[in-house]
Amino acid sequence: MAPLIEVKNLKYRYPHTKELALNDISFTIERGEFIGIIGANGAGKSTLTQAFMGLVPQFYKGAYGGSVLINGMDASKTPVSTLCKTAGLVFQNPFNQLSGAKDTVYDEIAFGLQNLGICREEMVKRIDDALNLLEISQFRDRNPFDLSGGQMQRVAIASILVMQPDIMILDEPTSQLDPAGTEEVFRAVDRLVKSGKTILMVEQKLETLASYCDKLLLLSKGSLVAFDTPQSVFSRDDLMFFGVQAPSFTRISKALDLKLSDGNYPATLDELVSLKDRLVSPTEVSKNISVQTVDEAPVYSIKQMSFSYLADTPLITGCNLTFDSRSTAIIGQNGAGKTTLVKLLKGLLKPVSGKIYYGDKDIADMTVAMLADEVGYIFQNPDDQIFKSRVLDEVMFGPLNIGMSKEEAKQKSLAALELAGLPDCADTNPYDLELSQRKMVAIASVIAMDTKVIIFDEPTIAQDYEGKERIKSMIRSLSDAGKLVIAILHDMDFVAECFERVIVMAKGKVLADATPSEVFAMPDVLVEARLVLPHVTALCHTLGFEQTYLTVEELLNLYHK
Amino acid sequence: MKKIFSTKWNAATVVLIPVCIGINFLGKLFASTLKLPLWLDSIGTCIGAILGGPIIGGLCGAINNLVYGLIIGDNITIIYLFTSLGIGVATGIMARLGFMKTFLKSLLTACVAGLVAVVISTPLNVIFWGGTTGNVWGDALFAYTQANNMPVFLGSFLDEVVVDVPDKLITLIIVYLICLALPKKLTSLYEADAEIERLD
Amino acid sequence: MKSITLYVDNHTYLTGLHPYTKLFYVLTAIAVPLLCGRLWVFGAFIAASILMLISAKLLRKAVPLIIFSFTILITIFLIHGLFYTRNENPLFRIGPLLFYQEGVLYAVRIGLNILNMLLSFATFVLSTKPSDLVEELEKSGFSKRFGYIINSVFQIIPQMTGTMNTIMDAQRSRGMNTEGNLIVRAKAFIPLISPVIMSSLINTRERAVALEVRGFDSKEKKTFLYDRPKKKADITLILFFALLIIIATVWRITLWLP
Repeated sequence: MAPLIEVKNLKYRYPHTKELALNDISFTIERGEFIGIIGANGAGKSTLTQAFMGLVPQFYKGAYGGSVLINGMDASKTPVSTLCKTAGLVFQNPFNQLSGAKDTVYDEIAFGLQNLGICREEMVKRIDDALNLLEISQFRDRNPFDLSGGQMQRVAIASILVMQPDIMILDEPTSQLDPAGTEEVFRAVDRLVKSGKTILMVEQKLETLASYCDKLLLLSKGSLVAFDTPQSVFSRDDLMFFGVQAPSFTRISKALDLKLSDGNYPATLDELVSLKDRLVSPTEVSKNISVQTVDEAPVYSIKQMSFSYLADTPLITGCNLTFDSRSTAIIGQNGAGKTTLVKLLKGLLKPVSGKIYYGDKDIADMTVAMLADEVGYIFQNPDDQIFKSRVLDEVMFGPLNIGMSKEEAKQKSLAALELAGLPDCADTNPYDLELSQRKMVAIASVIAMDTKVIIFDEPTIAQDYEGKERIKSMIRSLSDAGKLVIAILHDMDFVAECFERVIVMAKGKVLADATPSEVFAMPDVLVEARLVLPHVTALCHTLGFEQTYLTVEELLNLYHK
Repeated sequence: MKKIFSTKWNAATVVLIPVCIGINFLGKLFASTLKLPLWLDSIGTCIGAILGGPIIGGLCGAINNLVYGLIIGDNITIIYLFTSLGIGVATGIMARLGFMKTFLKSLLTACVAGLVAVVISTPLNVIFWGGTTGNVWGDALFAYTQANNMPVFLGSFLDEVVVDVPDKLITLIIVYLICLALPKKLTSLYEADAEIERLD
Repeated sequence: MKSITLYVDNHTYLTGLHPYTKLFYVLTAIAVPLLCGRLWVFGAFIAASILMLISAKLLRKAVPLIIFSFTILITIFLIHGLFYTRNENPLFRIGPLLFYQEGVLYAVRIGLNILNMLLSFATFVLSTKPSDLVEELEKSGFSKRFGYIINSVFQIIPQMTGTMNTIMDAQRSRGMNTEGNLIVRAKAFIPLISPVIMSSLINTRERAVALEVRGFDSKEKKTFLYDRPKKKADITLILFFALLIIIATVWRITLWLP
């Protein structure tokens, strides 16, 4: 039987660009396989998924070469509306992939079926099946836009699934979700795998991807680098060269030279644990957890503060916190009150009761404008602030507003762009950049204001390995410069590696406030806040270590002593 | 001629129209939030016209007023359906003729769009309102012309010119600035004559 | 999400009527008085619309729709009562202002026409779910693209207004002023509106892809989830409205005949 997907010498270039987005790619995929697609931002992962759907080249035009056969159909010529019966595509942003024309989940899922002219009895049956499979029956009469990200993403998967494609293509379906939403979506993917569908999945969460997929497709700058088992791809020595960091489990095994029987290093937790016998238990030194006391006066002190929009639904209750100059991560589920808390710190919201002091001044007496040159706040979505057609002008907007001279603003802006890794982009149009780079522009535009406090709201969204590393180093250098860095984060590995202090929030309350090592050693708190452990910490737990280790380096240090 | 009106009919243009209508709505909302003495309610229509051509522009305008009039309850706007349609078509034609390429040329487009709006609105104003427009400055001028026994039509025409032309000037300056910033990967979706090139 | 439509299903007979029946009433209420040209006919339809609104418990919701037109109506009274070019016979005087019979009559005609339009539209707008109307139109042969556009507007406007609040916060965080004199406010317009315009335009790319992969350009005949059969009352009413229009048209023609 012919393979389900056959790609031969595929080349593609977007209109008005010079470089090939896909460069001479060939491979085949058999029915029932689970294929992971990995690579740095700009490697061509999304373009490839769109080539399976015929969107490349039919929708985008541009220049195309080679061929993609989907179940024997030529994807460059078969209408997308025919291909979509064989291949379904789910992508990153849950918001944009809803039709935007239906006001209930049920009708939203029916949208594709209506277009395909499926009769009513069949529609009803398929929708009910999909609602059950994805565990979203309880939302059937809700407006899809009122759901959380994870729920919305499952509606998106359901609305593709009802069209009964043989192939499901998922393009980073969890990259914009919180940990619980990610877990929900992965559980849904798990069910898809069991139903026997062929699945292609682009994903940055390599630890999780490795535990699912049969094979990995590694792309770099439009070319196919490798198409092999996850163990063999992750064991490559040149992986970093392609902008991909191997999962923590592979890195640990590599450092300790723990090989599987086929000569590759393990890629998943289970595989590494299976080599447990060969893993000598290190001598654990009890870590001296000293409560850091900081002598300086607090930057913020919050006293018995509560906040709500509506009197009967409190968002934050009885909050007592102080912030000193230690870099602080705030973690918790969506809806836990994290963003509300930082908006209160920024003065965008005013407490309903209690007080917030900035230094010794009551924030209630200060306007947003008065705080602008003291507290910088980087919003989650960079597109909510970018309005200039030149990156440098965009970055200079804030500094000029708070009264810096033109020269000073320019100098600070160029320095901030340097820090954000965009030194050559000063004259570029921000909208010609990718989302991950636009995010960096937004970060630079706040850093350039040179404020004492900098608040990040989910800085790692849409960033690949290199981007995350860059943000880590930015946070460190800002903190070293004596600024207070506060960040809302969903990436626990990132939190473990980068912050001195962690605040856990759930349902408007602070559950824990301690160092990362302490927080990740509090199972009850993590369960209550529905948070997961950093991968290394989870490994140590499984192996029965007594202490909590947070990062690959920290763990390996034990062995190198 | 055919090229001026050629229109791409795919999901991209269908999705563009509601967004443009939303932009019209926001322009109006921001203008009133900031208490600016302008309407700024056709920014979206003009963007639609520039990206998608005169037919998409006209549709943006017409459907805009249809939706507000028929469904949101701002019934008066339905009367001006043809005005919005005219603004969209006029801007679209001017853009296809290259009159959005430079700042000065876009000012000319603004004048054309403004005058089209005036020419279509004036008879509507006369029929439905006896000549007024609801704008204080314009109506004061209208009252003056009536007090001096000028014909209703002329008075209403002047009333509308005073209101519409400055509004369209500001609108198209904003639109011009926005279109400058639009990335190629977006505008290329609407190029009606794009072909797929083969690489092998 | 806050809806921008005014429709709420309050389970009265008016919400239960077929969308076409109500649409046909709007047409009748506007056409018949214009054909007849008599002031009392305007009055009759205004009364009919008000009665419908009261009986369907919608009058209170209709008030804001009508009120905003009052300032315009007052302007019209002032301008035409005082300055209408055919003014001859003085009617009354308020202080220094002398109102004329012709102008006031002209203004009354305009005012009644507008009120009649607003009220008849209100009966329709307040009692009909837009997506129901759109689906019926699609069933009657309107293009599904047209249907999509209309439905999508209702989702997009609340989303964009929501974004506007975030943008306001983001730009204020960067030290921008939104209050002050006209120049300050005018300067704030671009930083506020530009991000929402740009991001919603950029999002169209993904939204279009989302439609493509759900078979939007399929040539199959679209199917529907719901039926909305016309009831007996719908048919009776439509026939009655048609009759009114015919009578009014005949009346108009007899006026033209010598």
